Amino acid sequence: MSWIKARPYVMIFPAILVFTLFFLYPIGYMIFLSFHDWNFVSPVKEFVGFSNFTSLMEDAKFLQVLRNTFMYSGLTVFLTISISLLLALWLNKKGAMYGMVQGAIFSPHIISLVSISMLWMWIMDTDYGLLNWFLGLFGITNIPWLTDPKTSLLSLIIVAVWKGIGYYTLIFIAGLQSIPRDIYEAAALDDTNRIRTFFKLTLPMLSPTLFFLTIIGLIGSFQVFETISIMTKGGPINSTNTIVYYIYENGFRFFKIGYASTAGVILLLIIGIFTVFYFKLLGRKVHYQ
Amino acid sequence: MAEIRLENIVKKFNEDTVVKNLNLTIQDGSFTVIVGPSGCGKSTTLRMIAGLEAPTSGDIWIGDECVTHTEPGKRNIAMVFQNYALYPTMTVRKNIEFGLVNKKVPKAEREVLIREISDIVGLTEHLDKKPQQLSGGQRQRVALARAMVKKPKVFILDEPLSNLDAKLRGQMRRELIELHQKLGITFIYVTHDQVEAMSMGDQIILLDKGVMQQVDNPMKMYHDPNNVFTAEFIGTPAMNIVKRTEMDRYLPDLFKKAAFVGFKPEHALLVDEEWAISNYVIMESEILTTETLGAETIYAVRNEAGMMNIKSFTEPITNTKKIHVAVAYDKLYFFDIAEERIRHSYSHNTIPLSQVKKPALVGGN
Amino acid sequence: MKKNPFWKVINGIGLLLLICIFALPFVWMISTSFKTLGETMTFPPNWIPNQLLWENFSKAWNSGPFLKYFLNSTIVSVGILILQFATIIPAAYAFARYRFKGNNFFFGVTMVTLMIPTQLIFLPVYLQMSAFGLLDSLWGLILPFASSAFGIFLLRQSFKQVPEELLEAARLDQASEWKIIIKIMVPMAKPVLITFAMFSFIAHWNDYFWPLVMTTTEASRTLPLGIAKLREVDGGVAWNILMAGNLILVIPILIIFFFGQRQIIRAFVYTGVK
Repeated sequence: MSWIKARPYVMIFPAILVFTLFFLYPIGYMIFLSFHDWNFVSPVKEFVGFSNFTSLMEDAKFLQVLRNTFMYSGLTVFLTISISLLLALWLNKKGAMYGMVQGAIFSPHIISLVSISMLWMWIMDTDYGLLNWFLGLFGITNIPWLTDPKTSLLSLIIVAVWKGIGYYTLIFIAGLQSIPRDIYEAAALDDTNRIRTFFKLTLPMLSPTLFFLTIIGLIGSFQVFETISIMTKGGPINSTNTIVYYIYENGFRFFKIGYASTAGVILLLIIGIFTVFYFKLLGRKVHYQ
Repeated sequence: MAEIRLENIVKKFNEDTVVKNLNLTIQDGSFTVIVGPSGCGKSTTLRMIAGLEAPTSGDIWIGDECVTHTEPGKRNIAMVFQNYALYPTMTVRKNIEFGLVNKKVPKAEREVLIREISDIVGLTEHLDKKPQQLSGGQRQRVALARAMVKKPKVFILDEPLSNLDAKLRGQMRRELIELHQKLGITFIYVTHDQVEAMSMGDQIILLDKGVMQQVDNPMKMYHDPNNVFTAEFIGTPAMNIVKRTEMDRYLPDLFKKAAFVGFKPEHALLVDEEWAISNYVIMESEILTTETLGAETIYAVRNEAGMMNIKSFTEPITNTKKIHVAVAYDKLYFFDIAEERIRHSYSHNTIPLSQVKKPALVGGN
Repeated sequence: MKKNPFWKVINGIGLLLLICIFALPFVWMISTSFKTLGETMTFPPNWIPNQLLWENFSKAWNSGPFLKYFLNSTIVSVGILILQFATIIPAAYAFARYRFKGNNFFFGVTMVTLMIPTQLIFLPVYLQMSAFGLLDSLWGLILPFASSAFGIFLLRQSFKQVPEELLEAARLDQASEWKIIIKIMVPMAKPVLITFAMFSFIAHWNDYFWPLVMTTTEASRTLPLGIAKLREVDGGVAWNILMAGNLILVIPILIIFFFGQRQIIRAFVYTGVK
């Protein structure tokens, strides 16, 4: 093969090698492990067929983990997107004040989740927390945010929404600004009211952004780990245990590698379905040229 | 010697044959213009000469060297692109210098060359600016300078003036002609604009659908077109071409082979009344539209042979719609059924010369 | 908003409230890191500490091998960035500019990795690293991120926008492909590259998960792990020291953010919009 012909392959080789070694091969290996029973140290990986899958599906804890994961991801994405959209409509204006607000709401996005988790752990502390102090001013007292299974998952969602809103808002603002002005002018000439303009013009024009943010939001939330690991350790009574944390626990604490891998495969399948759905829905609109 | 020869050049893109068996010689030192409508294969031909596109078959010679498989950078060719293709992140100086650095020209020599060239094109004071800071005309000059500095044997220009406004285009046209005279090297210039072709080239190559239609100097091209395509392409408005059947009543006893009859808009006269003169076609017509361009006026007229354009250099006619169009027999062009030119004259003289009245031209004086 | 002064006031209050919700936690973090432990427990909280207790920072810093953590974090974040540049630039150029068999296939592979959450496959990657003998080493933290599908995607878009004429002009100027990349493509893609660099640096500087999973000794731990460990002291959490530690982690990012706020925000937004 001549150099000219070989050149593109040589140029993509390092990147493809990295992807193969650290993405594709591990996925294959994870699928392989999901059909085996292994404890990390034993020299034998015992083939067990689908039994990991079947026992996981009957495992009440895992089912709760799945429910938690979906609850967490769904609510986080839904809340983040709706609040961000409203904020974007509000903040999409010129002026120093608006610039400052945009900067402020964005700032959590560049801060490490470690810091954010600790900060919120303290803010949500039942006795010494800023949040309960603040609510106390209105006569609401001592909500056990992180220590009550009823509120713990919600608390984590609040943190995720708080962190994510700025980024989403700015993307929506960018999306709003890319809508040609003359469309609005035409609508104004047609005497369209603001609510109708929003639902009939703005929202459809934003729909690619909306879909994009939904999918990356979901994929991002599926892998939530840091806040859980630092703030709740999956508790109380598994109320905040989600899938990556579950894999981590099973793999690193209980050494049930096959079991942990199976959980990973299941989430991968779910993400795969979401992704295919996304591209089917959007494939015609988004052109990756 | 930098005579360029294309031998049996064919270029296909997938199934489309863009250039069909082109044989062509471009004289050393000539200013050759390749012209044709868009999609005629002119740019492809040019890019094959530059080496940016490889011919599907055939050979390209520059001087005594077959360059068909030579890399573009090694052909001793410089090119000016339609959108200038200046490197946007480099200053004017770096733009001009880039090719020299790649050729490993020593620094001292590079500086002399850059100074020399920027002097010629008048860029000396802009050398440290980025292309975005320059006007269209200045960018054009940078593109020229970048090409010239390499002292190429052949200079290729791909529609270089199409992004300039009309006034600047006229000026650049003159400058390019001067530049050609000064450098004395072969220029190959591609354009779709026949006015540019006529005004700049000393040799014009007219292409259509990948086939060469005619190669001639501008005046020959204008006065002596080989076929309907050339006749219609050169000159504005285009030559009026009418099927012979439509012209039968005006041209009795026309020889058999003629399938089309043509005349140039500027060769028609407008006269006010029915008059008869030997060796003229007279067509009673109605004026549909009048375009006044100042020095000249273009009328669209309709008569029994159809619609025609007439160009007149007298004051526009405003007082009447009815007019007579007169064209001398020896200004008529004939084409056969394959649209090829028939170089044949026509005469038909039914009226004795003694009865001929002096024509009275219409329009102010 | 309407021109009505009443709405203007409401609007202003709303904006202020927003700033509070997002900025106050950080203000609290900063002020706490200067307080005594006793003062952290007072309510209502003092927004401005009674005195500036700088020793909180030295206490945090000296509670573990923080210099080591700091250096490790720097080496990992910068090392990842350098390797990413080295792998994504040629790959993006090839994907954008060459026609070759498998172009779409390999780009498809790249895009698939973009959709896979890395934290989901840490277990097999961990086993992989263990097979390579790279566990508990900085290489183990760097190598999985030595390339970036996202970077390739962004850069390929940007390379595709460069007009073909420019490359042809360069080829006529006898430039090699390598020279075209370095002298023409990369300078033209500079905004995208800076964007990506910030994105990548911030992500890996802040990363907690991979170091947690991949390292077992102090020798290869990074700053976020060190900070998280500050919490594990006996007898209650020393919030003031903990917040001082967090500030040490956040400050480099804040400095970058301060100087490149517009650029960073544009960067993140750009990556979302494209």
